[in-house]
Amino acid sequence: MTTAHAPGFTRPAAASAMHVARTLRLLPRNIVVALLRGYRAVISPLYGDVCRYYPSCSAYALGAVQQHGLGRGGFLAARRVVRCHPWAVGGVDDVPESHSSHFHVNRYGFVVDDHAHHGQGKG
Amino acid sequence: MNLENLYLTILWPIRWLVEVVLVSWHWIFSHLGMDPNGGLTWVLSIVGLVVVVRAALIPVFVRQIKNQRKMLEVAPQIKKIQDKYKGKRDQLSREAMSREMMEFYRETGTNPLASCLPLLIQLPIFGALFAVLNNAQHGKVGVGMLNASLSKSFGSASLFDFAPLHDSFQSAMNHAGGPVVPVMIVAAVMVALMVASQFYTQLQIMSKNISDETKNSPQFRQQRTLMYFLPFIFLFSGFAFPLGVMFYWLTTNIWTMVQQFLVIRAMPTPGSEAARLREERLAKKREALIAAGKLQVAAPAVDGGEAVVTRVNTQRQQPVSNKRKKKRR
Repeated sequence: MTTAHAPGFTRPAAASAMHVARTLRLLPRNIVVALLRGYRAVISPLYGDVCRYYPSCSAYALGAVQQHGLGRGGFLAARRVVRCHPWAVGGVDDVPESHSSHFHVNRYGFVVDDHAHHGQGKG
Repeated sequence: MNLENLYLTILWPIRWLVEVVLVSWHWIFSHLGMDPNGGLTWVLSIVGLVVVVRAALIPVFVRQIKNQRKMLEVAPQIKKIQDKYKGKRDQLSREAMSREMMEFYRETGTNPLASCLPLLIQLPIFGALFAVLNNAQHGKVGVGMLNASLSKSFGSASLFDFAPLHDSFQSAMNHAGGPVVPVMIVAAVMVALMVASQFYTQLQIMSKNISDETKNSPQFRQQRTLMYFLPFIFLFSGFAFPLGVMFYWLTTNIWTMVQQFLVIRAMPTPGSEAARLREERLAKKREALIAAGKLQVAAPAVDGGEAVVTRVNTQRQQPVSNKRKKKRR
């Protein structure tokens, strides 16, 4: 805990600016996470069990966007849907692991910045 | 602007194909004596587009049904996995079971699930038709076979001369010279038909073509409740989409309904209501044939075994020369 000392004041300020910047960077993927969660809650159950893989395409898309962001995650998800056709053998097909560990997924599925100690692995 | 360009570039090949099919049907109907600029001619061309697309998708559908049937062969092994996780309701156990089942399906090639891609496959066609109509409305030339005069004809086509295909409920409502009631009526009728056909398709599956086992799962009950919310999606699309696109959607909905009806009748899910009804129909038919003397029932081979039903051969045995008889053996 740093207190009223001037030198100690600048460090948390810089850290919190970094935190805001990173949170903003996570915004696009969180918007898509919200959309995917809406889809999975309302539209997905209408179709019942359809997907030939585990996790299902929408669960895979959610995980991919959470772990890899909108660009790469979206690309991974699109590739998965194309793979999920009636002639595919199916099976277990997990999202490739992400090497970035500056964030974690909270219990609502949103990606939040680890503001405390970045660079360390998440629990 | 950039995103829009990217979208149109991706859609380009599909737009090209959609134009080929549309213009081909238009050519056929015009040569059959219909008015080339008539709204009905263009609506029928859109119906023709649906027929081509859905006919091309039949193999996908057949494959999905075949996949569903394959699981019967390995039912005992599936039961074994299910028993292993019996009573374990926590999320980790559920996940482990799903993983094990999927791995088993993959190893044995018996995956019964339908797959996700076909659910999305009509989306680009939809988008392409949207772009073609939009383009035509603004008097722009298409990307392929839709030349300037055809584009103009399509863009200004109007069903029964009162419902322009490029108009939507929304655009008719906000029309500069006051609301265009006929367009709004046509759009409303189409939404009603779409809701009805979609609802009936869903109801057919839910009430008849689901095994008793699935019917008792909580997941199914949730699905059933959600079914009643589906019409709202059509209310939104019926408001915003141009009539031309709505005609495509309605026709494809009706195709699905009829296809589903035929499949449920001929190849119902084992253990479902539809399967029992089919058994009853077949039994009745067999009895009628026995009564008519076309089938005969022999006593069971083993005591308590099943009776053997054979076809009574009423066809005359064709005489065969000795030479051919030998060859056949």
